[in-house]
Amino acid sequence: MSNTSRWLKRAVAASAVIALGVTLSACSGASGSTANSNRPENVIHVAVYGDAGNTVEQAMVDKFNATSKVQVILDRIPGANYQQKLQTIISTDAAPDVFFNWGGGSIQPFVKANLLLPLTDMIKSDPALESSFLPSVFNAAAIDGVPYGIPMRGTQPVILFNNKQVLTDAGITAPKTWDDLLADVKVLTAKGITPIALGGADQWPTLMWFEYLFDRVAGPDLLTKAIGGDTTVWDSADGKAALTKLKSLIDAGAFGTNFDSVSFVDGGSPALLRTGKAAFELMGSWEYSTQQTADKAWTEANLGYTGFPSIADGKGDGADLVGNTNNYYSVIKATRYPDTARDFLKLMYSDEFVQAQLGIGNLPTTTTTEKFLDQAADPAYATFQFNLVKDAPAFQLSWDQAYPQSASADMKTAVSQFFTGKLDVAGFISAMQAL
Amino acid sequence: MKRPTTGRSRHSGGPNVGRPGFAWALPATIFFALFAIVPLIGVAVMSFTSWSGLGSPEFNGLDNWNKLLGDKVMMQSLWLSALLTLLGVVIQTPLSILLGVWAAGQQKNRAVLSAIYFIPLLLSSAAVSVLWRALLDPNFGIPGQLAGIFGGDGNLLGSQAGAIAVLTFVGAWQFTPLHTLLYQGAARSVPPVLYQAAEIDGAGTMRKFFSITLPQLRNTIVTSGILMVVGGLTTFDTVLILTKGGPGTDTTITPYYMYRKAFQSFDFGVGSAIALVLVVIATAISLIMVRATGYDKMNSAQEGI
Repeated sequence: MSNTSRWLKRAVAASAVIALGVTLSACSGASGSTANSNRPENVIHVAVYGDAGNTVEQAMVDKFNATSKVQVILDRIPGANYQQKLQTIISTDAAPDVFFNWGGGSIQPFVKANLLLPLTDMIKSDPALESSFLPSVFNAAAIDGVPYGIPMRGTQPVILFNNKQVLTDAGITAPKTWDDLLADVKVLTAKGITPIALGGADQWPTLMWFEYLFDRVAGPDLLTKAIGGDTTVWDSADGKAALTKLKSLIDAGAFGTNFDSVSFVDGGSPALLRTGKAAFELMGSWEYSTQQTADKAWTEANLGYTGFPSIADGKGDGADLVGNTNNYYSVIKATRYPDTARDFLKLMYSDEFVQAQLGIGNLPTTTTTEKFLDQAADPAYATFQFNLVKDAPAFQLSWDQAYPQSASADMKTAVSQFFTGKLDVAGFISAMQAL
Repeated sequence: MKRPTTGRSRHSGGPNVGRPGFAWALPATIFFALFAIVPLIGVAVMSFTSWSGLGSPEFNGLDNWNKLLGDKVMMQSLWLSALLTLLGVVIQTPLSILLGVWAAGQQKNRAVLSAIYFIPLLLSSAAVSVLWRALLDPNFGIPGQLAGIFGGDGNLLGSQAGAIAVLTFVGAWQFTPLHTLLYQGAARSVPPVLYQAAEIDGAGTMRKFFSITLPQLRNTIVTSGILMVVGGLTTFDTVLILTKGGPGTDTTITPYYMYRKAFQSFDFGVGSAIALVLVVIATAISLIMVRATGYDKMNSAQEGI
């Protein structure tokens, strides 16, 4: 063999390695439609996002298996890239019967591909599967009015957190209105403190600011229309007003200058808040447990929290929320034991489930949650959150989950480019219209 | 020399020296066909389909390719890949030649220092990237603590130039040891008689380096260069972990863009098309390098000694 071809071989091999990844997953996904008979007997598989919350899920499975002939097997899928892994296996015989998801856009492609079981019949035989949950949360997993998901963890609204000590030292209070926030930003920048910690490297924390601004200024309808396919709404006067307001906040130095290198996941932005280098952070309710893990004493004494400020001349209610409405269990059409799946899902509104979730700091969204709030890991924080969710006229699912996963990467790029000034208002609008 | 009378001896001498039959190449050929050629054909076919990972792929003709041609991010990613590769070669080659030649000396302290220097080579790229990501945190990492040196706000990953500099530096930190190792081996195999002759002729250290060491390392330079270029074009994990292709799309190199299209946006058709572009480019570049450097003739650097 001549040396040329040996080198050619190596070069091709090196380049083909990257090609390999694509094709391997293609092979595993291409096996096409599934029939019940190919699926395992006497068991159903339940796939969940693997993290600390799995203790409760395992407890529910154990409880169910004690009395059921068809056994439930809990498959914990390691958290990172859960959605990608799911997409790869869901149309194969290895697909889980019941799986964890975020509702909305995270299941929409599966519904379109006719892979999911509409839960209408289950709800007909047990109406409590629908009526036990807060409607705004339950409906976030309905596609075109047909329910496809049962809430199975806690709700995670996005909240404006603050460092109480920093606010006291600066002589300011947590903002109730947009103008309050702008005034606070002015005071804090003058003192050399970054007003708002932002994990811009992760991109999704940045997205939260857009979600609230568009809700407050244009009202919750704008996004509903946009997802429905009417992309002209991005170009509306309201949409532009929301972007202009956000732009003025960025230009006022509210986020400092180096947020693009800061990450929430690495612990960067929470540390900014905790150490008093920043005064506020807009984050999902999990900020509380993140801070608690890092410094329990500080969190109890100094972590303040309020809802997002209202905007006076906007169309959205000041009590509207954005965030993760909840996580859901959906059932695939190919399952061999739909009745077992139904019976398992009934556990999701049991008192035992609600108490167990509250015990690990989650806030379940059943109508019975309220009476168990005093058993929560932190009753004051749980009550605050529950009231936010209960009183919210609208609860917008995070954009990256409301949209199909395929739009997520381009959306996050646009969001981060708007913050760094690479995209102006018009550029952002056309990026969103292109999703 | 007295030959041993074992079965092997009949191979020595004659035209068959060191030329085993085709059967010896069979395992490698099968492996290569199964894990490189077959997937490659699969990717080539997929680049003409539209597939989200659900259902069956559907042929859509040249749609993916037309989309790619008009895609600004794709064109930018090719330039970025070229730039990062070039920076890698330009920075790593002189560094590793100098270090390799230095490490080739037999002194004890050199052996100890080179052993320490090779440690990054033992770490996975992912671990290296996570490590540097934490070290470069603008508030709590090195730039935050040494604001005097780094100046400004420590926003190293927040600008295109900064992010590219970080990627180049981390790449060099991790891969210079590998190339140093290559050069160390090559420098050790330079026959000492050459240096002895040069010393008799009165050559100094510099003259010996440029007139003996460098020419003797020619084949190693090509080897290491090709490794750097192919490695640079397929860089992925450092970008994924350190910059996620950002800020915006400022460090979205071609392999990362392929990942984004295929595994984040679930557009496997376009992802495959990008993969194919990469395969063609990487193959073409290494072919050109092999031809242009005369490496394929594999002339010994020790002829006439």
